[in-house]
Amino acid sequence: MEKISIKIEETIDKIKKIYGNSSDINTRIINIKGTKIGCIFLESSSATATISDFIIKSAIYAEKSKTIFDNLFNTLKNKLFNCQLFTIENFKDFPYYLSSGFTIIIVDGNDKAIVMETRANLDRGITESTSEPIIRGPKDSFTESHSKNLGLIRKRIKDPNLWFDEIKLGRRTKTRITIAYINNIADKIKIRKIKDRLNEIDIDGILDSGNIRDYLTSQKSIFPQIKSSERPDTACQELLNGKIVILVENSPFILILPTVFLDYIKSPEDQNQKSINISFTRILRFFALIITILTPAIYIAIATYDQNTIPDKLLISLAVQREGVPFPTFFEIILFMTVFEILRESDLKSPTNMSTAMSIVGALVLGQAAVDASIVSPITIIIVAITSICSLIFQDSDFINGIRFWRFLFILASSMLGVIGILSMSLIWITKMASLENLNTSFLSPIAPFDKTGNQDAIIKEATPNIYERPKYISSKNIIKQGGRK
Amino acid sequence: MKKALTVIIICLLLCGCEDYAELNNLSIVTAAGIDKAGDKYEVTLLIANSPKNETTNKEGEAKTTVYQGKAKTIAEAVKIIDKKTPKQLYFSHINVVVISEEIGKEGFLNVADWLIRHPQTRNRFYLMQVNENKAGDVLKIISPLESFPSQSIATLIESNKNSRSVGDTASYSNFIGRILETGYEPIMSTIKINGTVKEGSTQENLETTEPKTYLSLGPLAIYKKDKLIETTTKKQTDLIYVITNEAKELLYNIKYKNSSINIFSNAVKTKIKLKNENSVDIYVEAKGSIYEANGNINLNSTSEIENIEKIWKTSMKKDLIKLIKQIKTEYKSDIFGFGNMIYKNYPQKWKKIKDKWNEKYFNNLNINVHTKTEIISTASLTKTLRDDEK
Repeated sequence: MEKISIKIEETIDKIKKIYGNSSDINTRIINIKGTKIGCIFLESSSATATISDFIIKSAIYAEKSKTIFDNLFNTLKNKLFNCQLFTIENFKDFPYYLSSGFTIIIVDGNDKAIVMETRANLDRGITESTSEPIIRGPKDSFTESHSKNLGLIRKRIKDPNLWFDEIKLGRRTKTRITIAYINNIADKIKIRKIKDRLNEIDIDGILDSGNIRDYLTSQKSIFPQIKSSERPDTACQELLNGKIVILVENSPFILILPTVFLDYIKSPEDQNQKSINISFTRILRFFALIITILTPAIYIAIATYDQNTIPDKLLISLAVQREGVPFPTFFEIILFMTVFEILRESDLKSPTNMSTAMSIVGALVLGQAAVDASIVSPITIIIVAITSICSLIFQDSDFINGIRFWRFLFILASSMLGVIGILSMSLIWITKMASLENLNTSFLSPIAPFDKTGNQDAIIKEATPNIYERPKYISSKNIIKQGGRK
Repeated sequence: MKKALTVIIICLLLCGCEDYAELNNLSIVTAAGIDKAGDKYEVTLLIANSPKNETTNKEGEAKTTVYQGKAKTIAEAVKIIDKKTPKQLYFSHINVVVISEEIGKEGFLNVADWLIRHPQTRNRFYLMQVNENKAGDVLKIISPLESFPSQSIATLIESNKNSRSVGDTASYSNFIGRILETGYEPIMSTIKINGTVKEGSTQENLETTEPKTYLSLGPLAIYKKDKLIETTTKKQTDLIYVITNEAKELLYNIKYKNSSINIFSNAVKTKIKLKNENSVDIYVEAKGSIYEANGNINLNSTSEIENIEKIWKTSMKKDLIKLIKQIKTEYKSDIFGFGNMIYKNYPQKWKKIKDKWNEKYFNNLNINVHTKTEIISTASLTKTLRDDEK
């Protein structure tokens, strides 16, 4: 606690010194009936029009009026038109408010200061989601503005039991982090655990929700254990299921805890369509997952060890295709997998107007020319293409990268041991996944451990009118979701 | 954790990729032909994936090559071929094995051991016998409709499975199974080369609209144990399939009132029942329709149809009895497995007779044939054309 000096010039000098006389720091001293008041604000983060309209104008009117102020500080505090206005006594709070776009009003002879919200509008509007586009369902998405994000959730769930707990993290960034949950559904132990873990963070800056992701998982795993989303409807759906949502200031991506494996094969659209079609789509996504992890490994295993499992016409065709290719099958696959990953990475990073050139080079030059030059066989291109198409069905890029890692492990195992290698690697994979756990929730729930309520909306989704209870594995509190059960 | 990782890495390195083989280093054998040349075996292998000087073979189109080796044993002959081919021979995709008449007469089991014992071969291939020609020559005939000879033989068998009843008798596992089973003698399908081998093995055979040389399926060959007894005729083959209940289609010609009638039947059902130790009942039930009828027959009248049914019934019965008698007395080979039925139902009796079953007791077996026929339709015409003229 550092006291505010009663002399306003002294305070202003001090602030200017702290900010190193930065060009955007602005001060204004106004005389009201012999008493000096000072306004301090950062012109970069505050709306100067608001300051002139509501502070400077009021002060000048006060100067002109005939009223005599016996206590100017209290009068200002009561008469200024603004809903976010409060007093502070600690000088150390000054930088936080200034940088957040507040204006500090100090009155000569007072050791308190009034702070008033005059934030500049520095964010883009609410736009359509780009990372999780859907056809049927609400189109809005979270933005960088923290209060807008909270509003998008609040506007959907009007229950006062929707609670927002705020923590400020980051020594330098002082980022606002909000833990949102529905009080009488969410598991208290999980909320406490999350808060404990967040409070342990002592880092200089948090710029995105991705920065705190790693602090919230207990184990190191290749698959992400926290799903992130930029869709308010997904966030609300998960809140209603009893999950906990973490919003980070300046980040359009929220974090959803606890996340299980099956959450990645679900899509935000799933709640808006007929359940039987969704069940079919989810089975399709599950197959895509298996295909994208196993296809290259299975191809290597049967093409280099178990040729007798290939039907004869196909085998002969494959053998003729491989004629003249100088590399071993394993190397061929690894080479083209890597080329594809590089292509994907560069496509993500390149500006949109360059992506046409990229796809021409990628598809025509690499694909066709490599086959013509006998560097790879056509079947390799097919395998890599199927694998990559199937991996792009998933929206979470962290999850895709997790799949990629395991795919390479499977390729390695199958190139050394063939089908036996794939089998043993599958064992390792399943064991690894089953051993993952976060916030007392197993990664493979509700399948293992089996949970009946959770399985109503796992891979097979029952019709919404028939789901009466929310999944128990998330929270066992207040389990009834829908009334009218016979 | 580190220890476990080290163990895993060492294990992976120790395995040494034992069965590792790249696809383009394999010579995929899809058919084999086995001949007898003097006291030596001549083995012919058909290799399906030879690019034949075409370095850019993009369509997955395969060209075939045939290699031959001659030695005292099959294994040695294969070794000789292995030295001739630059790549490693790969046997798991053998589709067809063709043996010559001489091999059949000498005994197939001399050859079979290598085919079963080899770790790569599977028992799901077709086993055929070729009469008159050499087995190796069958593999050389190029068919205009299939990319390589073994495929054309396999397709020939598979497409005929329904129509001309080749059935499971063509498969190798069936043949071996029958040899090993008690009281059963095997039969083998035959294949025939029509035309000359020289013309059939060149590219020119593909370029003509009417192939000069082609392969066709022949009648069945009757074996006793592993030795060839006799090759039957086309008609006998059809009737053998009727008795073994494998006939899916049967075209039967009968004479009625000076006219020739063809009856087509696609529902022939046969049941064999063992009456007692010494007699067997064969029930044949055939439903058919008139396929072709020339002459003055009124197909509208029920009595005429009944007459035709009766004649069909008696003539089929006569033919079947004649066939069974021929097999009993001339070939002395129980290809229908009556012995097997006795073995299963009267094991005590079988013990006494099994040594002389084919020679003596099979001949003494009382076989009664019961036929039942029914004409279900006369197809699109109710009268014969000659009948209409009047």
